[in-house]
Amino acid sequence: MVGLTTSFGSGAMSNSMDDVAEKAAAFFVIGSNTTEQHPVFGSRLRQAVLRRGAKLVVADPRRIDLADFAKPAYGGLYLRHRPGTDIVLLIGLMHIILHNGWEDKNFIAGRTEGYEEFAATIEHYPPEKASEITGVPLEQLYQAAEILALNKPMAVIWAMGITQHIVGVRNVMSLANLQMLLGNMGMEGGGVNPLRGQNNVQGACDMGGLPNVYPGYQNVTSEETRLKFEAAWGVSLPDKVGLTLTEMIPACEDGRVRALYILGEDPVMSDPNTSHIRHCLERCEFLVLQEIFPSETSAYADILLPGVSFAEKTGTFTSTERRIQMCRKAIEPLGETRPDWQITTEIAKRIIALGERDMRPAPHSGWDYNDTSDIMSEISAVTPSYAGVSHARLEAGERLQWPVKGPDHPGTPVLHVGQFTRGKGKFAPIDHIPPAELPDDEFPVLLSTGRVLYHWHGGQMTRRAKGLMGVYGRALVEVNPEDAARWNAKDGTHLRVTSRRGSIEVEAWVTDRVPPGMVFANFHFPETSANILTHASLDPVAKIPEYKIVAVRVEAV
Amino acid sequence: MTNSKIKFKPVSPQIEALVREHGSQPQAVLEMLVELQTQHGILTREMLDDVARLLELPAARVYGIASFYSMLEVAETAQSFAMSKIRVCDGPVCWLCGGDVTSIGDAVRAEHPDWKVERTSCLGLCDRAPAVLVDNEQAGPVLAEKVSAILAGENVKSIDYSLPRPGEVRVTLAHAGKVDPDSLESALSVGAYQGLQAALKRTYEEVISEVENSNLNGRGGAGFPAGRKWRFVAAAARTPKFVVCNADESEPLIFKDRVLIDTNPHQILEGMAIAAYAVGASSGYIYIRGEYVSQAQRLERAIEQAERSGWLGENIAGSSFSFQVHIHRGAGAYICGEETALLESLEGKRGEPRVRPPYPPTSGYRNLPTLVNNVESFAAVPHILQRGANWYKNLSDNSAGGTKLYMLLGHVNRPGLFEAPFGLTLRQIINDFGGGLRPGSKFHFALCGGAAGTIVDESLLDTPIDYASAGKGISLGAGAFLVCDERVSPVAMLRELMHFFAVESCGKCTPCREGTRRAYDLLVCLAEGGGRPGDLEELARLASVMQAASFCGLGQSVHLPVTSALRHFENEFAAGIRS
Amino acid sequence: MPVHLTINDKPVQAHEGQTVLEAACAHGIVIPTLCYHKDLSPVGSCRLCIVEVDKLRGQVAACNLPVAEGLVVHTETPALVQSRRTVLSLLLQNYTDAGYTSHDGHTTEFEHWVRYYEARLPDGTSPAPRYPLDGDPNPFIWVDLNKCILCTRCVRACEEVQGRFVWGVGERGSYTRIIAGADTAMLEARCESCGACAAYCPTGALDHKLSIRQGEADRKVTTTCTYCGVGCQFDLNVKNGKVIRVTSNPNAPVNGMHLCVKGRYGYDFIHHPDRLTGPRVRRYLLEEGEKVLHGPAWDWVETDWNTALDITARKLAATRDHYGGSSIGVLTSAKCLNEENYLMNKLARQVLGTHNIDHCARL
Repeated sequence: MVGLTTSFGSGAMSNSMDDVAEKAAAFFVIGSNTTEQHPVFGSRLRQAVLRRGAKLVVADPRRIDLADFAKPAYGGLYLRHRPGTDIVLLIGLMHIILHNGWEDKNFIAGRTEGYEEFAATIEHYPPEKASEITGVPLEQLYQAAEILALNKPMAVIWAMGITQHIVGVRNVMSLANLQMLLGNMGMEGGGVNPLRGQNNVQGACDMGGLPNVYPGYQNVTSEETRLKFEAAWGVSLPDKVGLTLTEMIPACEDGRVRALYILGEDPVMSDPNTSHIRHCLERCEFLVLQEIFPSETSAYADILLPGVSFAEKTGTFTSTERRIQMCRKAIEPLGETRPDWQITTEIAKRIIALGERDMRPAPHSGWDYNDTSDIMSEISAVTPSYAGVSHARLEAGERLQWPVKGPDHPGTPVLHVGQFTRGKGKFAPIDHIPPAELPDDEFPVLLSTGRVLYHWHGGQMTRRAKGLMGVYGRALVEVNPEDAARWNAKDGTHLRVTSRRGSIEVEAWVTDRVPPGMVFANFHFPETSANILTHASLDPVAKIPEYKIVAVRVEAV
Repeated sequence: MTNSKIKFKPVSPQIEALVREHGSQPQAVLEMLVELQTQHGILTREMLDDVARLLELPAARVYGIASFYSMLEVAETAQSFAMSKIRVCDGPVCWLCGGDVTSIGDAVRAEHPDWKVERTSCLGLCDRAPAVLVDNEQAGPVLAEKVSAILAGENVKSIDYSLPRPGEVRVTLAHAGKVDPDSLESALSVGAYQGLQAALKRTYEEVISEVENSNLNGRGGAGFPAGRKWRFVAAAARTPKFVVCNADESEPLIFKDRVLIDTNPHQILEGMAIAAYAVGASSGYIYIRGEYVSQAQRLERAIEQAERSGWLGENIAGSSFSFQVHIHRGAGAYICGEETALLESLEGKRGEPRVRPPYPPTSGYRNLPTLVNNVESFAAVPHILQRGANWYKNLSDNSAGGTKLYMLLGHVNRPGLFEAPFGLTLRQIINDFGGGLRPGSKFHFALCGGAAGTIVDESLLDTPIDYASAGKGISLGAGAFLVCDERVSPVAMLRELMHFFAVESCGKCTPCREGTRRAYDLLVCLAEGGGRPGDLEELARLASVMQAASFCGLGQSVHLPVTSALRHFENEFAAGIRS
Repeated sequence: MPVHLTINDKPVQAHEGQTVLEAACAHGIVIPTLCYHKDLSPVGSCRLCIVEVDKLRGQVAACNLPVAEGLVVHTETPALVQSRRTVLSLLLQNYTDAGYTSHDGHTTEFEHWVRYYEARLPDGTSPAPRYPLDGDPNPFIWVDLNKCILCTRCVRACEEVQGRFVWGVGERGSYTRIIAGADTAMLEARCESCGACAAYCPTGALDHKLSIRQGEADRKVTTTCTYCGVGCQFDLNVKNGKVIRVTSNPNAPVNGMHLCVKGRYGYDFIHHPDRLTGPRVRRYLLEEGEKVLHGPAWDWVETDWNTALDITARKLAATRDHYGGSSIGVLTSAKCLNEENYLMNKLARQVLGTHNIDHCARL
């Protein structure tokens, strides 16, 4: 997100899934296991390949299912590059593109800046060198570059495989560079398309659930913005960026942060280096957790407030393609539970009533909401990109993707048409930095982590779904057959996977999805969560942990 | 997909080698399966999975193919290799001639307990009924009490058709028995490839006109004018184009293509080459039924010889015209005689018919323009080019030009195959060519055309037969006539036919898949005197629904024997209803 | 290019490339179908959508008959009715219903047309089941091939919607049957359990195992999925205040009929007994003692909302007032509503005076 904001001025998916699936002549899927993590969109990509012959290039160290559709018979290609070499791979491809004169010269001249400086850095990685570093055969680099460059429009699609690295932002900016180079921005079937992991992660960002921006990505450091929100809410507001999640919890350790109010999150499961997280949470003086299930984190909570599931409340979600859609209440809240917005409202009202903070009457200073549509009215008043969003429009069947600039504005399926949000697209020179923790003699195996089709994040919901557990009832670690033979492991053998931070015991699943020397584990099951092993090396800008590359040691138990 | 049910398993190196031999082409999957079965005697799921993985085909599709074709057999697990496999024909002609799968099977097992016995719908050996296939060797006639002789290698010689019968006019059979079918020199000595040479001296247009003017109608049974079909393919804009020879002759009563291949294979190749030149194709396929193993080998030999001598292959006879012919063996499926099902099978799929339009001339093999003609049609072509359209046309005093191969079976003195003009009557066929009914036999009915033909009584004995006579109640079809005396029940005969159709229905559309099965059930009861009131009406209704609503010609033509038999022999059917 | 044809004596305007079935549908003329579904490629195999066309022989399947200028089509003649009744009666001869409630308790498409055309089994026939009930061990898809009419919608849904190729057609003639993989179990055949096959099945031969005997819903509520960011919509089926199943809603903007395994089958957490149903606080908070992370003081005590909210507000306000807003961290949720996230943002900034707000976008 940060990467795209730097390049284009907006961090969201530039296009719609529909236009990508229907109009792209080619797809470049890198660091996205689309058919497992965004299955319905993944199946649209497969359909595009099968039904209309769209060309698919997949780059992933793991031979994910989508790789089956990226084969020469379908005009596509699968690249198995070494983990942590995305930037080199991308520069190598751009090198070939430039040396063949396949770049979109008009687009570069008319809509971008910084090209010269950027182009010079491309020369650092000629294809031979890129091939050596990435492990991708030279001829495959040439073939892939040709497919990506000569099929226009081409859409780039990625997910956490790109961002969960210490170089996550650089990775993203490299993809932005590629798309500017090929002139694939601002058109249907092209664009930069990061797929958001959770159903409302886009909305949480849009709504100011970030330490650096108010709703609608209005910077907290901008005085104009600050004044606007001070006027709207009737308070004075700080002008410094706050702490990110990955900084906030460690800050409990030294008392910089003393209280946490956590809504529907489970940092013990989802954050890196579990034992350190547990330690920090123990140090937190007061922890309020609002959840639907007791979780690993609830062991550290002082108060548990029972919220409701998506079936028990009405409001909106914003999908990865900036589409705002209704979530509708189907059943009454169970037992004593209350919709989360009501709980938050109650807390806010009670704190305000204690009266220690200066508050002036202001248009939106109050907390009296009859329902979530009232809240949406306030959102649209203070958030330019949601200015025209209302429950009434959505209930009338309108299909809205932000920015929706006013009550009559139809929304914006494709961003950056004719002009980037920031004006000109900015080419950024990017250099390769190796991952923070690479395998060595002591920890010779590379661990990558992620999710599987049948489970969801920390697993709070999916571990309580009977059918899903029927298929995937315990954690498995993916092991290449060659390694399995070496470790004397078969399907079902218990393996101990140990990193510098901890150790888990988990069943082996022997599969050639992972290359030799690499294992893949998930974080859906508390006892065997891969996050016991992961480290908290963060991208310096986006503060995203490097979940995809961890050095471990593996042995049969 | 992360599902621990999916076990990592390296593919068998042997299968990997086999797949590579076939260029890893998914179209060749059927041939690979046939070869695998030949090597192992059986197919296992594991083998199918490996083939599927290597060809990047869904396992379900490969299993679908393996289970579709009757010559392929899928087993739960690998089995011990049977020494030999004997396929016993279960077709109506073999039934009529006393063939019986159970008793022949018992007799075989008595002598060779380690052999495998399998029923098969029809072997294309109706002139040698009851017939069997011992591994790849065609044999017959064979009766249970004489199985030993067959197993000892007797009765394996095909019938000699070298001598014309009185009244025959031979064109495609002209050299039968007079040339060595395995020698190109021998064929050349009687003028082989002269027609092709004549064609190459003329324009495509002239060749097509010649064929048009000859009034050659497709000999597969439908009688579509060959020249017009050629013109469609020639006019199709897309390339490459293909010529396909339909040698899937799988309908009971019909065996003429086998005889043509066995007596003069170069004649067929030459016809195909002329067609390819005329329509602008440079490759051709002969789709030959899987049971015709020796015929496929004969064609392969002929192709090799012709290529070596420059009559096929690159720059034929020094011209700029090139034409490659490939043999594609089927694996046991009557439906593959239907041209779109044949094309599907040729592409390595289940032999299920396609939606038409588009028709093969514009969208055939690999969805490219394709000419599909029958063996007999191609065999006539060299003669037309050599001797002229008028000569050929005037061989018959009929709107259909030229001569036709007739297959005569049943209770006549001289059954077999002969060539004659169009327009013969059934009486002429029986008396003039067949030497009359057998002593002691009285004409009861005849099945005319083929298994999907008409069942007629004596009222139609004197109706001239051609492609148009079906309207009068007697079909020419592929030219087969099965004559039955009064000891044969038309109800039982229809039951046998229906059994064939039910087993051979591809299963795609409801009327044919379920209708043939239901009709068979009804006929079993009727033939045993256990029918119920209303059965005849239901049978008639099924026939008419199958005719009107079936997906392809197979289902649509089933009504022909049913309605004609019901019309002529209503009393005998009614007698099957339990009072 | 507009194309003009006549259907049942009614002039109909269609466009080139449409089929007669599509043109009829667009004009509200109902032609019965089973193997046809608008999302799937037509195969023309069930022969229920047959129509008669002037100057064309036989009865032609409307689902793959292209429209043409001047075509005169009849969709409901006595002969067609007879054919359809026969076709349905033939299908009934291989169809046995074990009597459990199928699909969402509604009449299936097959049952509907059987009733509509008054198709019956021929006298003296009584089909026997040929396949096991619940014939596949996977947890999601109920397989009862005794109800299968071989329309192959499942095969096409798997291929064309999910792109997975689990299903196929095996054997031939009256032995034809639907198979998974090389005639194996679905999961071994690389099934991803998306349920598309069951969603498209017109008979209930493939159905949703988790809700097979739950009956018809009281109501359906269209909502947006709680799992990934694609934003699929579907209908929550509610009965007696409980979510009993998820069904596809063909009007869903992003996904249409399609869903994934989590969206379609991952709903039962809603009513899981682990759900927190009332507020809880640690005993030390009620007793206003010191915080210790063990022992009786750290026990959970169920309490009322007022108490829990008051303590929360007091503690947060006190922390803010003693240490400043920046000593409080707020984690909002990527699973919660926009409106809720907005309020969390407002709470952090306006009420607590801190920008320490984040969520798990990075994880």
